[in-house]
Amino acid sequence: MKPKIGRALVVGGGISGIRAALDLAETGYPVTLVDKAPHLGGILSQLDNQFPTNHCGMCKMLPLVERDAGSQYCLRKGLFHENIDIRTSTEVVGIEGEAGSFTVRLKKQPDFVNPETCIGCGECTNVCPVEVADDFNAGLGKRKAVYLPVPHMMPNTYVIDPAACTRCGECVGVCPTGAIGLFRQGRQDFSVLVVDDEYTVRDSIKEWLEEEGFSVETAASGEEALELLTRQTFKMVLLDIKMPGMDGVEVLKKTKEIFPEMAVVMMTAYATVETAVEAMKTGAMEYLMKPFDPEDLVSKVIAVYETQEASKGEQISAGTVIFCGGTSCYDPSVGKNTFGYKQYPDVVTGLEFERLISGTGPGSGGLVRPSDGKPVEKIAWIQCVGSRDLQSGSDYCSGICCMFAIKEAMLAKEHGPDNLEATIFYMDMRTPGKTFQRFRDRAETEYGVRFTRGRVHTVYQDDKTGKLLLSYPGDGSKRIESAFDMVVLSTGQKPASGAERLAEVGDCELNQWGFAATEPFSSAETKKAGIFLGGSFSGPRDIAESVISAGSASLLASVTLHATGGGMAEVVGDTPEYIDVSHQTPKVRVLLCECGSYGNVDLEIIAVSLKSDPAVEDVLTVPGVCTAEGWDALVKTAKRKGYNRLLLGACMPYAYTRRIKDLGAEVMLDPSLMDVVDIRTPWIISTDGIPNASATQQAIIRNLKSGVSRLIGIDPLPKSSVPVIRGALVVGGGVAGMTAALSIANHGYDVALVEKETGLGGNLDWLKNTIEGWDAAAFSENLQQRVEQHPKIGRHLNSTVISSFGEVGCFYTTIETREAAPVTLQHGVVIIATGGGEAGTEAYGYGKSPAVVTQKELEQKTFSKEIDYKTIDTVAMIQCVGSREEPRNYCSRVCCASTLKHILHMKKENPDLSIYVFYRDMMTYGFTETWFTEARRAGAVFIPYTVDARPEVMVEDGASGVSVTAYEPLLEARVQVNADLLVLATGIVPTLPVSLANAFGAGIDDDGFFMEAEPKWRPLDSLKEGVFACGIALGPRSITESVATAQAAAQRALRILSKTALSRASVTARVRHSLCSLCERCIDVCPYGARSVDIDMQRVLVNATMCQGCGNCASECPNSASVVDGFFDGRMLDMIDMVLD
Amino acid sequence: MDEGFEPTIIAFVCNWCTYTAADLAGTSRLSYPSNVRLIRVMCTGMVDPKYIIKAFLEGTDAVLVSGCHPGDCHYINGNYKARRRMKLLKTILPQYGFDEKRIKLTWIGASDGIQFAQTIRDMVVEIKALGPNEAKQAAVV
Repeated sequence: MKPKIGRALVVGGGISGIRAALDLAETGYPVTLVDKAPHLGGILSQLDNQFPTNHCGMCKMLPLVERDAGSQYCLRKGLFHENIDIRTSTEVVGIEGEAGSFTVRLKKQPDFVNPETCIGCGECTNVCPVEVADDFNAGLGKRKAVYLPVPHMMPNTYVIDPAACTRCGECVGVCPTGAIGLFRQGRQDFSVLVVDDEYTVRDSIKEWLEEEGFSVETAASGEEALELLTRQTFKMVLLDIKMPGMDGVEVLKKTKEIFPEMAVVMMTAYATVETAVEAMKTGAMEYLMKPFDPEDLVSKVIAVYETQEASKGEQISAGTVIFCGGTSCYDPSVGKNTFGYKQYPDVVTGLEFERLISGTGPGSGGLVRPSDGKPVEKIAWIQCVGSRDLQSGSDYCSGICCMFAIKEAMLAKEHGPDNLEATIFYMDMRTPGKTFQRFRDRAETEYGVRFTRGRVHTVYQDDKTGKLLLSYPGDGSKRIESAFDMVVLSTGQKPASGAERLAEVGDCELNQWGFAATEPFSSAETKKAGIFLGGSFSGPRDIAESVISAGSASLLASVTLHATGGGMAEVVGDTPEYIDVSHQTPKVRVLLCECGSYGNVDLEIIAVSLKSDPAVEDVLTVPGVCTAEGWDALVKTAKRKGYNRLLLGACMPYAYTRRIKDLGAEVMLDPSLMDVVDIRTPWIISTDGIPNASATQQAIIRNLKSGVSRLIGIDPLPKSSVPVIRGALVVGGGVAGMTAALSIANHGYDVALVEKETGLGGNLDWLKNTIEGWDAAAFSENLQQRVEQHPKIGRHLNSTVISSFGEVGCFYTTIETREAAPVTLQHGVVIIATGGGEAGTEAYGYGKSPAVVTQKELEQKTFSKEIDYKTIDTVAMIQCVGSREEPRNYCSRVCCASTLKHILHMKKENPDLSIYVFYRDMMTYGFTETWFTEARRAGAVFIPYTVDARPEVMVEDGASGVSVTAYEPLLEARVQVNADLLVLATGIVPTLPVSLANAFGAGIDDDGFFMEAEPKWRPLDSLKEGVFACGIALGPRSITESVATAQAAAQRALRILSKTALSRASVTARVRHSLCSLCERCIDVCPYGARSVDIDMQRVLVNATMCQGCGNCASECPNSASVVDGFFDGRMLDMIDMVLD
Repeated sequence: MDEGFEPTIIAFVCNWCTYTAADLAGTSRLSYPSNVRLIRVMCTGMVDPKYIIKAFLEGTDAVLVSGCHPGDCHYINGNYKARRRMKLLKTILPQYGFDEKRIKLTWIGASDGIQFAQTIRDMVVEIKALGPNEAKQAAVV
């Protein structure tokens, strides 16, 4: 991949940051990804299971095309991509400039542990005397001041928490590689000038500071000090005030004239305090009163040193910036804390619960009560803690907690005893995602999770039993009290702790809830050009929504880079050339890092054992390859010819992916012919806990031998590639289709936009405005104009796709246009944006009375002023008509907001109008909640109903209105509403033709929506590469959400369009045609549709880009005709031999 | 039965989940018996039954195949395919004279280092009770 001009900076390394960075990196832009934490992953590093699949699968975000450019291992371990420069423990402290040319100042926490030399042995942790709350485990359990931030992260480099560390130095002494103590080396360069006329003072200060590693010079008078200052560089001056000759204040003034930035601390006796205060005005930093405690003085100097170190900073240039700062969790211990959080140990937050049941958690995964370690039998979840709560300043819904709680309740049922009872107390169970309603139903019916409507006010503890007592309202006036073993608080999302500062740095605004503010119809755009927002930094979002908004942000960033001249202009880089070794007998050179001998392993014995294999040319040792010098030595050794395979025995192979690539370029050997075997980590620890050196040595020999065998088996094939037709087909001309088409066309690629209707616009031809008050009609009008005027967009109106064949990079699609001959278009990718429409209904008297209308009809009649709200008295509205129950068992997301929009409009027109809303759960997720509050304030009455007791509608002949009867749980009575108008929220149905999806090999889900490759991690892709979807074709969503999906889908497409050809990854399947019997079993088994049969050639073909190298075809093939590079049968059988040696 | 019998276990672990768990067990310095020999494969769906039969013929006492939890597979459904193959293999393995209990299929996720160590410990106990590989018992090797 060739680098493009224009760097992007992504701030925040959580899911959205990773997505944005990968999206841009895969498109070819260099990216700098910073995170203030010492690891990537954000909150997801703490969550093992995520809804709605209750699994992980984060690795599915990794690149699928050009896989070799990035890491191919569990993403929870870490990330590598050749275009991404990852900076952890780093913050952005300043952004200056304009879109296209920002100058960004980064501040990195000093590395107290040198990541280059830390070998992750953990000796430091064992001796560290400091214990603080373990933030990885959400504060449950303890960790040391020197610690591994995430247990599974790679490289497993320890870090020091500077706030907790007492600098006792215990860890420095035990570190076998001397990795800790960098700060002391740094202190050598920090020279302090001590000025005092008293020898004893000067000398003792010098001694104290030198003990701490600083360099110190002394001066006995002001004159001498000034002379020293001009001759030598000092970082700090300790200055006595009362001196004969020139006094301290005078010296200070003169010093500040020459070095205005110099840190000067005055030393004074009691008598001269006033002078000292005066000195502060002249620019002294502080004063110390004599006689002083050595510790006070030393800690002052250390503080100055560390501030200076930290502020050293670094400047980078970036064309665009994406903020993916995430959110923070609400802390229930603040405020009134009626739930007794932190007061009763068995009251935990959702995140704490997650850690409790995790294998890497404080209790190693057992579900027990934190207070006494006893098994848990009854758990309660309390929803909306710090959400939908005006008292905690959160008049918004956090959107994820309902699903979070359902997931946790299901996990508890799986982890806990059989008789475990899980109850969720909720106000509205919000399941607005595509599969979320069925997820909730499954929890209830299959898992037996109880759902109880009601807001719990207080949690008490029963003194006798220690159990937690919850009191909550039952139906009507009844109050119910129950005892639980554990209470989980579903804490809401709050703005990220650094949101305010980051917004200030980026010159963007925050909204009324403290999240970053976005522009109308965008989830990523800010007021400031060139700065975009990804993920939940701009409002609470779940994983899929975060991934989508990050994609939207990366598209906008890509447009910025392109438009400001960075563009897609390719910089001609050096494509490394490799020597062709395909006709040579394999000769393996083994290089062993001397660090391997750590742990009493004898490298000599290992070398002798390896040399017994004739394929091993030589075995050489190199000193510490993790250090710069060691690596240079290795390169030198590798340059000596005489081999064609290279095996490096060092530490974690993950750390070497990039280096191996560089080495390959340097020695002209294909990196796929090199491998790294870990010879340091596999310590065999006997059951008594003592490392067993001889068993370890044997294990290392086996690992190296199987590494050798792996290398011998690799066939150095010339790389092949799949050419790309650099144009896109977009099917559907609604807001999503138009946005996607523009997003791609703005990068200079051709787009064919196919629309079956006579005009563009889709649903926006009847939808006129949004609940936020934005003008949807004008928005659509503007999009249509831009599409029509765009030279790169070809419009095909009145047209439908009739057939398509081909694969990523090259599709041939035939479209039929009314009254014209069909045409065939050639394109590299396709985006399906066929949208959806309002569902029809026959329920609740619809069609029997003109007073019964759907939401769409209401919108139209309101806009055409057909309904005069001033002349009617009562409006009834029924939510979830045909939605959220089989066969349409999904939430349509937009109807509740639409209802609120109409309520507020009607109430504005006629404040005396009575409005009754019959609902099941108000799905006002995110900031829409505010309008729910407002609608209730405006006087609308909300009456909940269940599917077992629906409202009944009576339509009398000749009557102008209808009557609605329903059970009112608060009144414990049936109520009747005589309404002039009844509005039915019927929800959304997709209009994705099965034939269209089939034509492109995309799947369709049970409800007729586009089936995404993975609901969380790949929400826009089809399993078949090169086929994407956006807008309502994916699932119900609002205009803003549709725009985000369209931009994100365009970005997915641009990964492919930005290349002239897609190259083959090193682990890819092939077919040995001479052995193939064309049984086609491999074609059925391939999950990616990468295989096809060429009838003319009588061959099974593999698309090398679509193939992900899983090897399912190879084990399915009865003839061993299907093989995966690097995993041939012969090699696998050899490996088995090797490990059994 | 030989009191000092230490079974050898070959573990085919998938690159994404169980390999990560094994690494985690290693870096967390969890103690587990040294009887296990790891072979990393991209996906459990790539494990051809013939590898397992070969391993038994070569003298391993047990084989563990371990991948991602159902639904977690990086390659969508490779672990389901592995599950089907292992089930079939278990039915035919006795025909070769091997006890079907010598094969184990587990799902061990990336953060389950503890579970990985425990699985190996449990397997060692089970296989010790079962005795050495039947091929080694029968043949004069």
